[in-house]
Amino acid sequence: MQPHLFLILFLIALTSLCDTINQLFLKSTIDALKPPAFNIFLILKFIWGLIRMPKLWIGFIFSVISLCIWLFVLSKSDLNFAFSADSMHYIFIALASGLILKERIGRLRLIGTAVIIIGIILVSLR
Amino acid sequence: MFKKKVTLKILALLVFSDILETAIHFFFKKSVLAQSDFQVVDINSAALFIRAAFASPYLWAGIFTVICVFVVWSTILSRIDLSVAVPIASFSYILVPLVSIIFLHEQISALRWLGITFILSGVILVSLSSKERVH
Repeated sequence: MQPHLFLILFLIALTSLCDTINQLFLKSTIDALKPPAFNIFLILKFIWGLIRMPKLWIGFIFSVISLCIWLFVLSKSDLNFAFSADSMHYIFIALASGLILKERIGRLRLIGTAVIIIGIILVSLR
Repeated sequence: MFKKKVTLKILALLVFSDILETAIHFFFKKSVLAQSDFQVVDINSAALFIRAAFASPYLWAGIFTVICVFVVWSTILSRIDLSVAVPIASFSYILVPLVSIIFLHEQISALRWLGITFILSGVILVSLSSKERVH
């Protein structure tokens, strides 16, 4: 066990939560626009359209908060541990996709999420 | 036929985003490497910590890479569901530990590799469960 393990895990959970919120805002912003063709000019035009939407900037604030917490976590723990434990965002994404975006969540996906949770516990044991 | 072509392009974009993603975390770790003993106890020390991190060129390299990933992700997410896109972009779970060993001289125990294997398996299960939803 490393020092402050539970504090670090809590902070990682917090960054995962902020990232999930950011992803949700990003997804709902993108859904509001027509998807571009695979053409660099159209993609740039699409991104310009995104930048002008306020929802995108709400997501951006959450990603800045997430970055600050993440930098602190990285200063206190190994990159390989922090990055592996950061996979807990799959749990949040699964919850958010099901509850907010109303996407279907199958049994295989639930098993996968459970396996990820076991993995995070093993990684935390050192 | 056309849809299949698009899917391959999305796959290529996802692999590219994995490499960029790994670079981001490497740069961010590098930017705070010297600050491991920094004590954050209140708002002032937190501000000092963040200011010191932002003084590092590595942090700005990381942020630049984040912008690149954002451009790539905007394209990916406009074509496929969040629940499909996120799981496929998971190669970085192996890339990041490898980069940690090679460039940061971190040590990874057998138990941790087992944990990483579990996480990766879980991620693959999650992406398999979303297979029929790719459009």
